[in-house]
Amino acid sequence: MTQTLEQIRQEFPILNVKVHGKPLVYLDSAATAQKPQCVIDAESEFYATINAGVHRGAHELAARSTLAFEEARAKVAELVGANAEEGSEELVVTAGATAGLNLLATSFGYASMGRGGKVAERFVLKPGDEIVVSKAEHHSVLLPFQELAARTGATLRWFDLDTEGRIRTDMADEVITERTKIVAITHISNVTGAITDVATVVKRAHEVGALVVLDACQSVPHIAIDFHALDVDFAAFSAHKMYGPTGVGFLYGKRELLEALPPATFGGSMVELAWMDKPADYMMPPARFEAGTQPVAQVVAAGVAAQWMREIGMDRIAQHEQEITKELLKINELDGVRVLGPLSTEQRIGTVSFEVEGVHPHDVGQYIDAQGIAIRVGHHCAQPAQRHFGVYASNRASCGIYTTVEDARAFVEAVGKVRAFFEV
Amino acid sequence: MVDIDDGLEQMYQEVILEASKNPHGKQHFAADLADEQASTQGEAVVVAEHEACSAGQSRQFNPTCGDEATIRVEISDAEPHTIERLVWDGHGCSISQASLSVMVDLVEGRNVDEAMELFKDFHDLMQSRGKGLDNEEEEEALGDAVVFQGVSRYPMRIKCALLGWEGLKDSLARALAETK
Repeated sequence: MTQTLEQIRQEFPILNVKVHGKPLVYLDSAATAQKPQCVIDAESEFYATINAGVHRGAHELAARSTLAFEEARAKVAELVGANAEEGSEELVVTAGATAGLNLLATSFGYASMGRGGKVAERFVLKPGDEIVVSKAEHHSVLLPFQELAARTGATLRWFDLDTEGRIRTDMADEVITERTKIVAITHISNVTGAITDVATVVKRAHEVGALVVLDACQSVPHIAIDFHALDVDFAAFSAHKMYGPTGVGFLYGKRELLEALPPATFGGSMVELAWMDKPADYMMPPARFEAGTQPVAQVVAAGVAAQWMREIGMDRIAQHEQEITKELLKINELDGVRVLGPLSTEQRIGTVSFEVEGVHPHDVGQYIDAQGIAIRVGHHCAQPAQRHFGVYASNRASCGIYTTVEDARAFVEAVGKVRAFFEV
Repeated sequence: MVDIDDGLEQMYQEVILEASKNPHGKQHFAADLADEQASTQGEAVVVAEHEACSAGQSRQFNPTCGDEATIRVEISDAEPHTIERLVWDGHGCSISQASLSVMVDLVEGRNVDEAMELFKDFHDLMQSRGKGLDNEEEEEALGDAVVFQGVSRYPMRIKCALLGWEGLKDSLARALAETK
C-alpha cells in the first residue's frame, strides 16, 4: 500500500526534535539526508545478530555477514542500474563519494606510472593529455583531478557555466577534444541544483575515446538513475545523502574498466597471492579495491536505505520534490533576494542557493536557524561556482522526501523577514 | 533555556549592526574579489607609511564560510611600540565586520602590551559561553567590544568575532620582529 507523506515523515524520528523550541524544518538534505527508522535499526540489528568479518573466515556468522554485505551491494546496484551478480559486480564499496573519486584519480595516477600493465594503458595520462571538469564541480571532483593533472603533466580544462549556473554542455565539441582522456563532471550541482545534460557529454567524450566520471552524489537521492542507460564509465555517490549512514559510499565502474583498473589502496582481502620477492596478484573487482575491513554494518544499512527508496519509488520522490522546488523558488520574488541557479523547475532539483542583498550568508543562516529552520551557509565546497555568481558564499535550502510544502513556505516567509531584521 | 529570539537580539545588538554597515579602519587593498583572493596567496611584504615605524600584515581566513580579513598594523620603533595605524580589508558577516571595526577603535593609539592585554580579555569573553567576564575591570576595558558577549553563546560564530583579533595578534608579532 502506498504510504502517505505523513506516514513517510513518521519514519524519521529526528523530525520530532525541537530546535530553539520550534519543530525542526530540515532544509539541508544536500549536505546530509535524515535517516528513517529502518536504516537506523539496520545498523544496530547487524551488530546484534550477525556481526562478523566478511569475505574471510569460515564460520556461520562470517557467512551470514558476507551474505548481508553482498545483498546490500545488490540492493544499491538495483537502485542505480549497476550489476551485482558475483563475478560481474560494478559497485565498489568506498568510504564515501570523496573516497571513490580519490580512488579513481589515484588509480589513474598509478596507471600513468606503469602499474596495472598493458590493460591499464587506457588510463594512462601524460603531458599533452587533457582532463576536463566543470566550474560547477564540488571540490571533491575538482581537487583530485587537478592533482592528477599536476602529477601526470596533463592539462586541466573545464566547462564554463551559463548565467543560470548550468554547465555549458553546448560547448562540448570545443572543450572535449582528441586530447581529452577523462571527463569528470557533476550530474547535479550541489550549489545550483541544475541537472547536467550528461548524454551530450558522454556522446562527445566517447567519440574521442575519453572516459566519463560522474559525480552522482546529488542525483542518486533525488531522481531515478540508471548508470547503464547513462553510459557513464564511472560514478561516485555517498550513502548518507540517500537516507543511509555516514562513512560509506559506492564507486560504480563498467565491469571491463574495473577489471583493467589497478588498485589504489593495498592491504588485506584484496590480494590472491602475496610474496616477499615478487609483486602480488590482486583479486578481481570489487575486492581488489576494498582493502582492509569494510564498514559492514553501514553498507548493510545503505542497502536498506536503497530498498526503502525503491519501495517509495524514485519517480514519486522526484515528483514530490518538484512540488517543493516550486515553493522554494518563490524566494526569488522577494525583494533583494537572488536565486543562484535555474529559476524554473525544469531540469533541476530542490537544491536552491540564494543570496540576500546586504546580508552576509552567515547572518541569514543565523536568522533562519532561530526560526527552527536548518539551511546551509558557506561556499558549499564549490568555490569556483560561488565566484561564477560573484559571491564568496551563499545560502542554500535543499529538500528531501520528508520536506513538506509547509516547510518550504515557512522557509520563504523567514527569508522574507531577513532584510528587515538586519535593517537593510 | 533562553528564548531564541531574545538570543538573536542579544547577538545582533545595535552596535554590531551599525558597525558592520560602516566599519572603521576598512580599506580596499585590492581591486576585486578574484584579485584579492589571488593577492593574499603567499606572504605580502608591507612597508610602514609612518616614519620611525614598522609594519606587519596578517591574513585570516574562516574556511567554513570563506570569510577573510587582511590586517595591517604599524607600530612605533621606539618603546613601548605604540600602534600608529591599524587598517584592514576583507569581507564577512556582520559579526566579523563589526568586531574588526570595534577592535580598530579600541586598540589604535594603544601600545602593543595594552593591545595584547585586550586581546586576551576579548578571547576570554568569547570563551565565556554567554556568561561574560568575572572581572569588571577587564570588562570595562573592552568598551564596546563587550557587546559580543551574546555571540559567545554560539560556538559556530566565535570564530567570526575573533577573526580580526587573531589577525591583530599575528600582525603585531610580525611588526615587532621588524622594529629597528
